[in-house]
Amino acid sequence: MTRPILKLVTTAVIAAVIVSNPVAAQVPPPAKKARRVQIVKAPELEMAAGHLTIITWTTNNPGGTDDHYGVVHYGTDPKNLNKTAKSPIRLNQGHPTTTFRVRLDDLESRTTYYYRVDSEESTGRSDGVKSLISKFTTPGSGERIPASPQPGRGVQPMARQ
Amino acid sequence: MKVLLQTCAVVAVPLLLVSCSGANAADPASPPIYNPYPSGILPADVASETARVQGEVQSIFQQALAEANALPPANVTGQPPTQQGSGYRAIMTLGKLMNYDVNMSALKNMACASCHMPYAGFGGPIPSVNLTMVAYPGTYHFRAGKRTPQRYTYSPYFPALQLDNTANAFFGGNFWDGRSTGYLLQSPDAEQAQHPPVDSQEMGLPDTACIAWRLSQSQYVAVFERVWGAGSLTGISWPSNTEQICATPGGAATFGTNVTPVSLSPVDRNRANVIFDHWGQSVSAFEKSVEVSPFSSKFDAYMKGKYTMTTDELAGYNLFKGKGNCNSCHLDGRGTTLSPGQTDTSTAAQVNPLFTCFGYTNEGLPLNPRDAFYYQTTPDSLGFTANPDGFGYRDLGMGTFLRSGFGSAPSPNAEWTSQAPLRDGRFQVSSARNAGMAPSQCPTTEAPGPYFQKGFFHNGYIKSLKQLVHFYNTRDVYPFPVTSGHCPAGTTEKVDCWPMPEVKNNLDMTVGKLGLTDLEENQIVAFLQTLTDGYTVPYPNVSTFTGQCSTGGSASTQGNETLIATPTLPPCSSNVCAIPPLPNPAIP
Repeated sequence: MTRPILKLVTTAVIAAVIVSNPVAAQVPPPAKKARRVQIVKAPELEMAAGHLTIITWTTNNPGGTDDHYGVVHYGTDPKNLNKTAKSPIRLNQGHPTTTFRVRLDDLESRTTYYYRVDSEESTGRSDGVKSLISKFTTPGSGERIPASPQPGRGVQPMARQ
Repeated sequence: MKVLLQTCAVVAVPLLLVSCSGANAADPASPPIYNPYPSGILPADVASETARVQGEVQSIFQQALAEANALPPANVTGQPPTQQGSGYRAIMTLGKLMNYDVNMSALKNMACASCHMPYAGFGGPIPSVNLTMVAYPGTYHFRAGKRTPQRYTYSPYFPALQLDNTANAFFGGNFWDGRSTGYLLQSPDAEQAQHPPVDSQEMGLPDTACIAWRLSQSQYVAVFERVWGAGSLTGISWPSNTEQICATPGGAATFGTNVTPVSLSPVDRNRANVIFDHWGQSVSAFEKSVEVSPFSSKFDAYMKGKYTMTTDELAGYNLFKGKGNCNSCHLDGRGTTLSPGQTDTSTAAQVNPLFTCFGYTNEGLPLNPRDAFYYQTTPDSLGFTANPDGFGYRDLGMGTFLRSGFGSAPSPNAEWTSQAPLRDGRFQVSSARNAGMAPSQCPTTEAPGPYFQKGFFHNGYIKSLKQLVHFYNTRDVYPFPVTSGHCPAGTTEKVDCWPMPEVKNNLDMTVGKLGLTDLEENQIVAFLQTLTDGYTVPYPNVSTFTGQCSTGGSASTQGNETLIATPTLPPCSSNVCAIPPLPNPAIP
């Protein structure tokens, strides 16, 4: 069998497999992992109420597994970010950037928390994001920091400790 | 009755099926009505609406009988032997007969289609049930399940459930919680069709052999044997009490823990099991046919260049792919337009995208206190109690299935069990296709209509596509630490107040604050409506609805008049939340 014919047959076989398997045609494989994942929009407080705090940031699309996790390491001591919150998101392979949003449930009121962010694949493999440590102060009981952060409240980035 | 059914079975060769008035609407003695519900939980018209749907089911069953009679003679040829030319049509017709056969329920009053009618995209056909109790009354009135009837258009395209180790994600399966894995038949859809007939709160047959028994008594024995072979439905030595057993709804105390109360020899049990598999495979063939899953929507025509979207539909499509990020899970097989005015120059990956990623996610739906399941805390006349935990029950979706937990099904793979905490609260990402399907008489799901009332997501909390998009858009803009029915004064539930999720674990944060305007939400709704089949060719039986359309009001607050206050919730039952591996964090 000549090489062009072999190539033609091989292509036809592969095409037949793909066409005959609608599932294979429906779901794309994981995107190629980005060489470097960088924050393009700094972490900030999206909202905070007594029961719920949300931290958000945006990176270039990290690629890798479509199921991803935003990760926030946080605590009341900037030198000891001893708690971790993770929230799943799903990458959109067609989007150049990815916005992560992480829920922190039931924080103490009127308390300043320090945090830094990362993201990881669903396998636990880190995207290697380098994040500064930031801080925010939770509102008092019954108060709410709205979805759009107010001037003077919320995020105050600070240098890495 | 048995004699009558036998008389009405195959009476001539080749394939002549006699339609016998009343033979498909048997009325055996029913146990007393089970009604543990507080006033207002059962819709006032539940009895008449159930009867209305049964009439519609009967009419389509008669249609299927006529189609069976019109099948050409079988021409079995080749190796392996194949019904040349007519095999596809024959199995699809067999599946249709099965789907609309009310005799496949214990009390012969409920078919698969009783909860899945074509005019609802093969979802729930009773507007008042969709509006209130969410789960449908089963063969034993009024036992009910716990979730909305999931549309089964395109469900045959879901692969067998698998844990993709590369992505560390579950993929495929059927049902909201994935419990129909497809591990035996390698078709989760075929296995899905096996569950409701033997679900104690649905069709209620107490033994899978009852399917074989009732099929052997059906009007379409000849169709079955044409598809699956001569003698494939006969030869079992049935005990004399078989019908008595099969007419007793499952869960009855008299059965104890026995799931095979029909006493069969090992050989006959095996024959019955094979017939049960053929049941599932035949129903699945129907569901995959053009009568159910035809790829005939405006969107499909658009992909072929035979439909021009309206300005709003096109804007909605671009939002679906861009700002709304809907296609991160509801895959459309296309690239993404992110910036306003940017042109999508990507190439279609395929011409028949299914608008699902086959995955599982927790979107953070609030607990719906109208769900009938919470109230079935006392035994019925047969000694069956659907939910001893009442409001202590929490729907952990796939997590409970992976634990082989209460209210789900046994997981066939112990290697998946450790994954349960990562899957708590997750439900299947349904195809977005036909979410907007409604009867031709009231051709929208959206108020002011005339509209057909649906219930969306697994617990039916959302009542319109507008609310669905608004929920994705603003769940985290208007979150309140309350349960449904307790939004603060000055707010409106589902508009600017979203009660807290039933399960916070693994809550998906892809959505929740999309920044869509009201107009943009409406445009996404307009796009979703292009995914309704029936544009390029009429959708079969979309006009069989004989009920009443609804009118008036606003899609944003549709159904809010039926909101009730969630009672103070007891802690999550140990039946659900204390089964290892434990949820992490613990579920209150």
